[in-house]
Amino acid sequence: MSVASVAESAPRRAYPALWLISTDHKRIGIMYVATTLVYFGIAGVLALLIRTQLAAPGNTFLSAQAFNEAFTLHGTAMIFLFVAPFGLGIANFLIPLQIGAPDMAFPRTNAFSFWLFLFGGLTIFFGLATNQGGADAGWTAYAPLSDLAVSGGLGQDLWAMGLIMIGISSILTALNFMTTVFIYRAPGMTMWRLPIFTWEMVATSLLILMAFPSLTAVLAMLLVDRRFGGHFFDAHAGGSAVLYQHLFWFFGHPEVYVMILPFFGVISEIVPVFSRKPIFGYTGLVLAAFAIAGLSMGVWAHHMFTTGAVVNPFFSALSFLIAVPTGIKFFNWIGTMWKGSISFETPMLFAIGFMLNFLIGGVTGVMVASPPVDFQARGSYFLVAHFHYVLGGGSLFAIFAALYFWWPKMFGVRLDETLGRLSFWTLFIGFNITFFPMVLLGILGMPRRVYTYPDLPGWGDLNAIATGGAWLMAVGVALFVANIVVTARRGVPAGDDPWGGYSLEWATTSPPPEFNFTSLPPIRSERPTFDMHHPA
Amino acid sequence: MTIAGLCVTIVVAALILYPLVRWRRRDDALPPQFSTNNPLEIAYTVIPLLLVVVLFAVTYRVEAGVERIAPQPAAVVEVSGYRWSWRFSYPGTGVAIAGTPEHPPQMVLPAGQTTRLVVVSDDVDHSFWVPDFLFKRDAIPGIRNEFDLTPTRTGTYRGECAEYCGLEHARMSFTVRVVSPEAYRRWLAANGSGRS
Repeated sequence: MSVASVAESAPRRAYPALWLISTDHKRIGIMYVATTLVYFGIAGVLALLIRTQLAAPGNTFLSAQAFNEAFTLHGTAMIFLFVAPFGLGIANFLIPLQIGAPDMAFPRTNAFSFWLFLFGGLTIFFGLATNQGGADAGWTAYAPLSDLAVSGGLGQDLWAMGLIMIGISSILTALNFMTTVFIYRAPGMTMWRLPIFTWEMVATSLLILMAFPSLTAVLAMLLVDRRFGGHFFDAHAGGSAVLYQHLFWFFGHPEVYVMILPFFGVISEIVPVFSRKPIFGYTGLVLAAFAIAGLSMGVWAHHMFTTGAVVNPFFSALSFLIAVPTGIKFFNWIGTMWKGSISFETPMLFAIGFMLNFLIGGVTGVMVASPPVDFQARGSYFLVAHFHYVLGGGSLFAIFAALYFWWPKMFGVRLDETLGRLSFWTLFIGFNITFFPMVLLGILGMPRRVYTYPDLPGWGDLNAIATGGAWLMAVGVALFVANIVVTARRGVPAGDDPWGGYSLEWATTSPPPEFNFTSLPPIRSERPTFDMHHPA
Repeated sequence: MTIAGLCVTIVVAALILYPLVRWRRRDDALPPQFSTNNPLEIAYTVIPLLLVVVLFAVTYRVEAGVERIAPQPAAVVEVSGYRWSWRFSYPGTGVAIAGTPEHPPQMVLPAGQTTRLVVVSDDVDHSFWVPDFLFKRDAIPGIRNEFDLTPTRTGTYRGECAEYCGLEHARMSFTVRVVSPEAYRRWLAANGSGRS
């Protein structure tokens, strides 16, 4: 947070404690982003522990128990404490700026959401501080595996309670976003002139409102089963183990889109600016976001193809269909670059990395939408590769793109270009070295969530390569951290609009003043700042 | 499916990379500011839609074949997953094989004949997976999952648990030995009378 004071504003420097009681959406947004990056660091260290254990067959670097806790907390932290809340955090910073509003509709609710999120995350990790260890039932925590009789530790209860807090925080944030966008737009900012990022956050908020209550419900039921003598998921007492999976995935699949729609938005902001063209097919892009949101509510049981308890063809058909609006977005980005004037600063590099990685994530996703393919791929490293190409190669790369793109707006200084490019190439190469071998391992039949594996032909080599890639990614992240430090010490002021941006946040100062704007340019299209700089 | 996937990946990756080379920034002139093309937008909506309809049709037919249940299977094996091994019992013959993580159990199946597998669990969720058979089915408390298997080649195949089930999930393996129908009958007779 010391970075915030580089450019200007003496009062902020004088009273850093004011951040703790702030209801300013920009400060909350920055605290949100900073918190998620700390959780990302923890989850990343856990990933390195996991990969180091799996570097060789029969390795004994971690015990089975330690490994199981490590991958449970890695998944939980990456999903609930990093990728999803990063989207909410950056949106917190951006939405009022992009629509020309002074703040969020409910600033104090907004602060409450942030603190609930922060302490929810700590609650999950508190399990490690008890003598019973952390949660170890996987991020999905299927009952009956997560029931008291099998997972007796306090860590599992703390895990569920922490996630309930985060769920409530997300619901409040979604309400806040929707109210802000519907009510607080500046004069001239019609819905069809909203920046794509803000549109994607409206779709994300809708998904949160539909899906997260199911998460809260299933975790509350789990706690009732564990501590208050319930038997919702106990088949021996008339409960149903499959019910847990239904409730969990009814939340869990929309959650995947909560973790990707904001980043479709990020890419849709960055690609036009660095191509110096408007986004191609604006209307189709917006409609595609809502098509994805709608379809994603009806595909949850594609996580349950092998249970023998669901109507596979129905969920398969809807899962295939979701590829169509996702494909539309790809063609929008390609159409935007077509005949443009493309430059390759760090945000654009990460955006291109996003497109190439997410393409593999998307195509493998269409493959496993087919039940006969899923009968082989489910529970294997093929699936691990698939969702890491979506969330790591996709969302994570978009997160870096967003950080490099909006850093000047948040702090008034640009991150260093040389370190940025170096970090991009290290991460891009490291990512593919880590996860492409997993595609092959899955095809060879390696199951996921195993702390050890036999020395079968190819398994040891592919795993060793993946582990090397993971350490290379760690170097890429270290370069990013170094970049923050270097920029905080020696950053030169970036000016209000370093990239030639399109949306309203580039029309105010960097960082923006309290309540965001001293004056607004006329809003006559979805690119008001571009119009201001290029009068017809 | 893999080939279709590879083709789509290559085409789209080329479409992403081509503009990067062709239209990289050379001067400060503003490029043409077009942003719509209705026929093109309809095309890139309809073509993928047709693609997935075809993929779904293929999927539907293949899945119907994979999940078909024979009226009279030649043999029945009840597969019971428990933490952290498996029990394979052959109803009506008195044969039952149970393993431990240290001593994985072996299932014996007749080649060229259809065997019905009934997958159950009494503790937590497991999943019965033999990678060489390209199939897995979950073992879930309270559910009896049935599927048919017709191995065609004799040999020994490795199998494992594909649903995370706790501490020693990684070591919950087993093997399947596919033998000729005569050898299978001899094996049943030798084990059924003798040990249970």
